[in-house]
Amino acid sequence: MLSNAEKAYMRALLALKKRDYASASGFFRSAENQFAESADFRILKETTELLLAVKEDIFELENGRIEIEEIINHGKETEFRR
Amino acid sequence: MTRLETLKKLESVLERFLAGVVEIETEQIEAFRGIDTLDDIAKDSFKGRFINNQLGNWFARYGRVVDGGRLKEDEVSTIANILSEIKSGLDSSDPETKKLSDEIERWREKGVVPKRKLVLKMKGEGAEQNIAEKFVALLKQESEHLEFEQKGSAHLISILDDILKSAEAKEDRMFMHLAGSVIYYLKINGYKVGPFVRRLKEIEKNKFGVKDVV
Repeated sequence: MLSNAEKAYMRALLALKKRDYASASGFFRSAENQFAESADFRILKETTELLLAVKEDIFELENGRIEIEEIINHGKETEFRR
Repeated sequence: MTRLETLKKLESVLERFLAGVVEIETEQIEAFRGIDTLDDIAKDSFKGRFINNQLGNWFARYGRVVDGGRLKEDEVSTIANILSEIKSGLDSSDPETKKLSDEIERWREKGVVPKRKLVLKMKGEGAEQNIAEKFVALLKQESEHLEFEQKGSAHLISILDDILKSAEAKEDRMFMHLAGSVIYYLKINGYKVGPFVRRLKEIEKNKFGVKDVV
């Protein structure tokens, strides 16, 4: 039988193939105990986590911009009504 | 370049890198998927479920991956071990199951799936295990099975139910002994075991014609 860590590593690679980076990261964490010494494993795990962090930053920046636009629109509308 | 543009460029680079690794490892991933699927089939087999269709589909889909000879030695060894575990639980009296059992054997003979390392570790002729050694080996095998079953944090009664299903479906007598052992353990801990005893007696009667074992 395969160990849980081996299964997790396999599933992480399959998730990467589907571009499901959040699931891949979770599976990498589950496999970490057994594969922490493998350079290939560490590169894939760290790259996936970095990509998720970058995506989060992009999301925050883009959402922040929408909020500012809404405030300005609201302000203009209020001024117009006056 | 704004921060957002820089981040998007970095995102693109990282995605391309991961896609590239996945592309290189496609065969490897396919092999992983095959091993993962085979492992699930082995688990179903342990639980006494009917696996003929799943196993037949597995041979059809992943046979070429193994036949291709591009797998690493440890992957081939993993597949060999899982197939051996599955084969030990197959009921060869059923023609369809025998066909699958023969397919596993054919792979071994071809050398695609090497014979289990266990064969290399066997004692030489004349050093056959005595009954005490056999009993210790059986307890170890049972302990490994229980550890595997316990991973899902199942109650012992649920585990016993699975063991009885395996005892009913498989030739391996370990399940009969393990069921008896678990029933007795539950009994001395105050559980009502009457229905389980009746099931075990019924299984023994059907398999071996034994009336009063427990």
